[in-house]
Amino acid sequence: MSVREATPDVAEARRMLKKGIVIAGVGETEQGILPDRGSFDLLSEATKLTLDDAGITLADVDGMVTAFSFVEHTLMHATTFCDYLGFRPGYFASVAVGGATAPLMAVQAALAIDAGLAEVVLCVRGDNTRSGISSSGMIAQAREMTQGEFEWPYGVTTIGGYGLLAQRYMHEYNVPQEALAAVVATQSEHGALKWNAMLREAVTIEDVLASRMIATPFHVLDCSLVNDGAAAFLVTTADRAKSMKSKPVYITGIGEGYSHQYISQAQSVDSVRDGLGRAGRRAMEVAGITPADLDVAEIYDSFSFTPLIALEGFGVCGKGEAGDWVLEGNAKLGGTLPMNTAGGLIRQAHLGAMHHIVEAALQLRGEADDTARGGGNHQVPGAKLAITNGSGGILAATSAIVLSSEPPSA
Amino acid sequence: MAERNEARTNWQAAQIKDGSRPEGRPFWEGTKEGKFLLPVGPDGKAFWYPRAFVPGTLDEVSWKESKGEGTVYTYSVHYLGPPGFSKKGDAPHVIALVDLDEGVRVMTNLVKDEENFPDIDIDQVRIGQRVRVVFDELSEEYTLPRFTIVD
Repeated sequence: MSVREATPDVAEARRMLKKGIVIAGVGETEQGILPDRGSFDLLSEATKLTLDDAGITLADVDGMVTAFSFVEHTLMHATTFCDYLGFRPGYFASVAVGGATAPLMAVQAALAIDAGLAEVVLCVRGDNTRSGISSSGMIAQAREMTQGEFEWPYGVTTIGGYGLLAQRYMHEYNVPQEALAAVVATQSEHGALKWNAMLREAVTIEDVLASRMIATPFHVLDCSLVNDGAAAFLVTTADRAKSMKSKPVYITGIGEGYSHQYISQAQSVDSVRDGLGRAGRRAMEVAGITPADLDVAEIYDSFSFTPLIALEGFGVCGKGEAGDWVLEGNAKLGGTLPMNTAGGLIRQAHLGAMHHIVEAALQLRGEADDTARGGGNHQVPGAKLAITNGSGGILAATSAIVLSSEPPSA
Repeated sequence: MAERNEARTNWQAAQIKDGSRPEGRPFWEGTKEGKFLLPVGPDGKAFWYPRAFVPGTLDEVSWKESKGEGTVYTYSVHYLGPPGFSKKGDAPHVIALVDLDEGVRVMTNLVKDEENFPDIDIDQVRIGQRVRVVFDELSEEYTLPRFTIVD
């Protein structure tokens, strides 16, 4: 089977970002089990918090990018939410690429700004997935992750679908369960410091290994959270951001990558790593940086295995080496490249990669100390460069962005 | 002898019916006759899953029979599953990706034997294990291929 592949233009991406496309505001609600909160209620609060952070009002916004909901079923998510909000933007779009959605929302906003369709674009995503979804809705969602005719009827789950590739990876490189558990233990120490993390207690490798097995190789503590909550970020130009309140963070690299849709069609561990890794490698190429330049990594962590293959795909670690890299403490605060510094999807909350972007922005603003809000200090001292990514499906469609405290130099 | 898991059988038949595309019809007609048919392009190379046109080239599709033998590429033991599958405390079911000798990778269940198709004992499963197809008649309309270990 031959697959046709197109290659995007790095120079064109640089030209766009060189204009100075920035994140000029972020906001995140409480996360967890919030039975009294609705999906659009949460999105509205994230919107308000983000506008407050930028020091503007809805009247200053002219573009709206949203995602999708597992609870508010609509074919027109962006305008349905705009109607709820009482807002008529000049530009609107709903992005739906599963876990890759959040970075792609930032890309969509950048494209709209570059094309002159909008100047101030709000990107908001969230849901009351935990409290609002029906059991049939939950099953329908799991089914969408699979090929409906030749995978789903066998009883595969999302967890087990990831488990298939994880077990092959562990087999090929002789990676122990402890390496996966070390991802969870590391992130739990970070989540303990984040004011709105759903799980605030640190766990050990032993705790993870002792927790209930769901689908090999994943225990319940290896899995990401299902929660209620929302987050947002505001994309605009560096010029426009000068009149706003927050320190702008530059988007200096964007990239996408993809090796398969259904896990049975993934050719090999190598092809998956290369496919999703391409997103990060391209984003860094556009930004004109290498992995050694990074100060912070906010890496999509649907399961404990997910960041390992991404770290290798992005070139942070060699093939099969990410587990040891995490076991050695490199991903911890104070390590060589602190990863998922607010706890990630496994400990903070799962809103796709929204929190990864928000946390990366806060790190580069130097505002990741939550001591005053009842959390702790998870700031990486002097952080200037961050990579963040999201992956949709089972290690499938991936989008990455590089954020910088400085304007693009490339 | 293991009892047949009727709830699972009915659920699986319903899911296939619900998820099936017209271009997969020859495959399901084949399994009823004990054949694992693979879609192939003009070069004779098989691909999976069935499409109306050959992926990448959009050539015309024909079908050839697989010998139904292959190797376990990877697997995951599922302790929880959709309706009809493992629930907390039940024996787990095993999802595997099998590389057929004809060069395609398919998802399947690994089962112990053809007598009511009980789930395989998990200590019997390993990557690289040789397996062969067995045909599980779920309903009049659908027969589902599963795989069992080659002795």
